[in-house]
Amino acid sequence: MAKIFYDHLIIIEEIIAQLDQHDLDPKKRQELIALVDQTLHHHILDVILTHLPQYHHETFLTRFHQAPHDIGLLTFLKEHTDRDIEKEILKKANSVKKNIFSEIKKARKEK
Amino acid sequence: MPYTPKPTLDFSKLHASLAGKARSSERYLRKHHPQAVALLESAGVQPGKIREHAAKLLTSGALAGTLMLGAPIVGKALPATGAQFASLTVTQLRQTLAGQLQTILPQTVAPLTKEQEDNISKLMKDTWGINAKAELDGNRLNQSYGYIGAEQHLPRFPGDSLDQHDEYLQEGITPGLGAWGYFAPSKNQLTEDLIQKEKYYVAVQTLYLPDWERRLPYLRDWYKYRKVLVVNPANGKTIIADVADSGPANWTGKHFGGSPEVMAFLGLNVGPQKGAVLLSFVDDPENQIPLGPVEYNVQRGPLLVATK
Repeated sequence: MAKIFYDHLIIIEEIIAQLDQHDLDPKKRQELIALVDQTLHHHILDVILTHLPQYHHETFLTRFHQAPHDIGLLTFLKEHTDRDIEKEILKKANSVKKNIFSEIKKARKEK
Repeated sequence: MPYTPKPTLDFSKLHASLAGKARSSERYLRKHHPQAVALLESAGVQPGKIREHAAKLLTSGALAGTLMLGAPIVGKALPATGAQFASLTVTQLRQTLAGQLQTILPQTVAPLTKEQEDNISKLMKDTWGINAKAELDGNRLNQSYGYIGAEQHLPRFPGDSLDQHDEYLQEGITPGLGAWGYFAPSKNQLTEDLIQKEKYYVAVQTLYLPDWERRLPYLRDWYKYRKVLVVNPANGKTIIADVADSGPANWTGKHFGGSPEVMAFLGLNVGPQKGAVLLSFVDDPENQIPLGPVEYNVQRGPLLVATK
């Protein structure tokens, strides 16, 4: 899986591990992971763009587009936001994951 | 050890709920940051599919040069009279605009001729794809080229305070209200749209319009939050703002006022906090052009870049 610079903060593997506790067709498993991934990216981008002053958006998005894995992006965000951006990303990721865990639990078929 | 089968999931149910979450988070992002999403999409990237994009970059190995975000935006530029195509980043586009404006503008700040105003209007259309005119619906300011000075934040609702504004707090907040009063009657009624209106406001000299008092009800409504395009001809930086205050007085030697955010973007929040700008009305009856720096708007227009 290609890396994104905030992967170490969102740790999507926790959700994958949760899904893998169930008997899932590999294709279906991949579909679910893709949906989770999309949801997380939407939320994390929102957090980043909310805390990053608008006049830095173009620079950030350009660099993000060119090299989504570049850890230097986190340094850029730290320099240009007045919040602890790592903490904000972590907080949002945890909240989204909690919500997704709950959905997985609800979809579990009792034997 | 006995084999314990893994529990199963109601795939359809989970898929439906996760798909719903993906859609709603996407809607939220689009609503919250429309310009940023448009910018990414103009470069061919769906925000939720950034990982797929990253994978493509890795496989193609084409990380440098050819995938510059600026390229898809300005790469759409149409040829001028010749067969040349522009391939400019937003920064280069600004520099080109600044250079072209130097050939049109007088050497000192002064009222422009009709011909100069028309040439600038055409240049804005060609560069940014935005219809911006010195005169709109028969209304015009006394100057479309003048000095802009730094203004403070405006109170947006009763009880608003400086610390509730998110940036440039050192600029302060005015003790009085803007020309149209509070933006919202209460904090609860302050919408994102109204937040943007305060953030990107300008003050214009409606008080010196010859027919201001005679036609006050009409002109007040016409100017209220009127969208304007402001350009710093020294660097080509262009921003869409709205009229939310009146002034400054003539004795100040300035013709317009800019919010802290407007001045910062234009690069005029330094030194004397003042600089020459072009200001024209945006013809946007469908309200499609968002307030803020214009690089976000370029993908919305035809983006005709006249190259030589």
